[in-house]
Amino acid sequence: MLYRVAGQYKTSYKADFALFPVRQDAWLLAFILVLAFVVFPMTASEFVFRTLLIPVLIYSLAALGLNILTGYAGQLSLGTGAFMGVGAYACYKLMTIFPGLNLLAAVLMSGFVSAAIGVAFGLPSLRIKGFYLAIATLAAQFFLVWLFQKWGWLYNYSASGAIQVPNISILGFTFAGPTAPAINQYFFVLCTVTLITFVAINLTRGRIGRQWKAVRDMDIAAELVGINLMKAKLLAFFVSSYIIGVAGALFVFLWRGAAEANLFDIPLSFRVLFIAIIGGLGSILGNYLGAILIVALPVIISGVPAALGLPLTPATVDHLNIMIIGALIILFLILEPHGLARLWAVAREKLIIWPFPH
Amino acid sequence: MKKLIANVLLSATILAGLSLSAVAQDTLKLPNMSYRTGPFAATGTPHQNGQLDYMTMLNERDGGINGVKIAFDECETGYNTEKGVECYERLKSEGALVTQPWSTGITLQVLPRTNVDKIPMFGPSYGFSAMQDGKTFKWAFNAPTSYWDGASMIMTALGDGDVANLNGKKIAFLHLDHPYGKEPIPLFEKLAAEHGFTFLPIPVGLTEMQNQSAQWLQIRRERPDYVIMWGWGAMNAGAVTEAVKTRYPMDQFVSVWWGAHNPDLKLVGADGKGYRALSWNFTDSEAPVMQDIKKHVVDAGKSQIDQAGGEFDSMAYQRGVLMSVILAEAVRVAQDHAGTPNINQEQLRWGLENLNMDDARLAELGVEGMMGPLKTTCANHTGNAGAWMVQWDGEKFEKVSELLSADRALIDPLVEEEAAKYAAANAPWPTNEECSM
Repeated sequence: MLYRVAGQYKTSYKADFALFPVRQDAWLLAFILVLAFVVFPMTASEFVFRTLLIPVLIYSLAALGLNILTGYAGQLSLGTGAFMGVGAYACYKLMTIFPGLNLLAAVLMSGFVSAAIGVAFGLPSLRIKGFYLAIATLAAQFFLVWLFQKWGWLYNYSASGAIQVPNISILGFTFAGPTAPAINQYFFVLCTVTLITFVAINLTRGRIGRQWKAVRDMDIAAELVGINLMKAKLLAFFVSSYIIGVAGALFVFLWRGAAEANLFDIPLSFRVLFIAIIGGLGSILGNYLGAILIVALPVIISGVPAALGLPLTPATVDHLNIMIIGALIILFLILEPHGLARLWAVAREKLIIWPFPH
Repeated sequence: MKKLIANVLLSATILAGLSLSAVAQDTLKLPNMSYRTGPFAATGTPHQNGQLDYMTMLNERDGGINGVKIAFDECETGYNTEKGVECYERLKSEGALVTQPWSTGITLQVLPRTNVDKIPMFGPSYGFSAMQDGKTFKWAFNAPTSYWDGASMIMTALGDGDVANLNGKKIAFLHLDHPYGKEPIPLFEKLAAEHGFTFLPIPVGLTEMQNQSAQWLQIRRERPDYVIMWGWGAMNAGAVTEAVKTRYPMDQFVSVWWGAHNPDLKLVGADGKGYRALSWNFTDSEAPVMQDIKKHVVDAGKSQIDQAGGEFDSMAYQRGVLMSVILAEAVRVAQDHAGTPNINQEQLRWGLENLNMDDARLAELGVEGMMGPLKTTCANHTGNAGAWMVQWDGEKFEKVSELLSADRALIDPLVEEEAAKYAAANAPWPTNEECSM
């Protein structure tokens, strides 16, 4: 009923290809955007900004980058954490070499550094596939983290080997560094993420996205119908690493404030991969749903016992938290092996024909 | 839709949490960022038990500090910097008087925020050594001693009172490849250049803590005169067992205070005889403070310690107790100065920088002989309490030196230089102009 499509006629091909063939989808998205741009900034506290909203957005963006490579182009990658690191260190170097640089420009530029390195490590994908490629990207993971530790120039030879974000303002608003208000950082992240998501949706719907899907489903067949595999695969690595690099720059500059090389080690790669898989490979929405489940839910759960006044020690709460999230992941994957996005798609289909299933 | 429901639930829980926490104002909120889970739990747990039990003892014995109960809440980080951010924001929203980050990585994240959020940060004998400079780091404290102090004291002790005696020697530095492990390197390098010994840093990655065969192979090949260890968690136990396995002479193996950890040495028992560590605390289970904890907390069943495993008598547990002794003393000083038992963050900051724990005061607190005297000022946030060399005799640690003190003429200029560098990198960085020196 809510999703009744009766009466929404498409009289042209253009209307049929529109981003939202069903009007209710557009309304839902508009509602979410209003929530994100208006309601949250007016109601959220600093705690909510810094531990829920900003990290969810940044992790969603990183998962989106990985999803383009793994979900759309079918190239399994375990190097996400390291590529995020490349973005972060590139942004750090840009901002320390050119202190007057606009932060947005620096963030968007650091994506290109990550993209170039992503393409370099994507070259093996022309010859190897599947698990073997995953091992090749694992090499990138270990090599890059090692480089972050050993190459003093990257962290300006600081004694601790960590990078620290200085205060950075644009037009009088501070966006990065210790004095930046959380709401500014939130808007910065939100705008960047919205922009990149918009580009990604259109990229995956169009000619390039179809090429990627063809390569994913069967690369020999794709080659036979005239798709240049090298171009398609390397472009997927380029776009994916670009987005991951931007996410990495945001991760350190707009959220953490400081980072050491170990932060970008393999657990981060796995975390992003889990978000992409649980959210749903080959979908854009899934990244957001996955990030809410993996990033935000543990924070919320850990606040519950204290809010209810239960006398649990923090270590017990932490253990419970791990168990609950683990159980939820298994539950969701049993209910719908294709991820949360698919779960939503099924629910939407049912809503469209409800209450007359035939 | 799902997103919406999740969001509604989320804001509801947060709101509920906030409204509850706003009620109780008549306690001293001194939270701790603990890690009783994860790869570093082995060293984290006894220290945090010690901290917690001393505060519980004050609540039980004296009804808190000057009549105000202490809320020593823990927030579990698992030594994970991401959870550190979460804990910091959570504790801040609950009105924490102090941040105890318990990790150099979290310290680095929180340090720049201290000036903005105006919550003092207390990292007893860890964190950034340059925090000693109170003029630059107005809100950060690392009393009773810093890593650079520790490095200087170890070198003086190895050179029998004078680092110059180490001329021509080779000293390996086995450290965790992490901001914490790299912290003392500038000091060692400066000493090596001045006194002509070879300094050989050997990093141990976080993933190879339990398997250090490559590092010990290098040590066997290089045959250093001394190995200095800057390890944490599972790394120390790994290093000690490897040292025994490769038959490295134990009396040439020295650790910073975190290596004075009984369970690590119990693994090797008599084979570990001769192993030394620099420790700013020493165990005395008969000391009045420990007896009070035993009576009011441990015997009353309010402690989480492993009694059968001898945790009560361990260096780590009693070090944790002393950390809380220092913090509680700062609260007392702050209360006296402010004239009210309900202090705020600014007043606690004053207390932390006006600590004067001389021998008489240490005796009053019942911790005589457990730690050295210390005195913090506006310009010196470390207090430089000094430390002892302790040696493993096969069953327990024994004091084998007088109270050592660090070479101030060496460290102070380095502190100033590093603090200036930090302030420049984080400009605009406010300095505390009230400090004259």
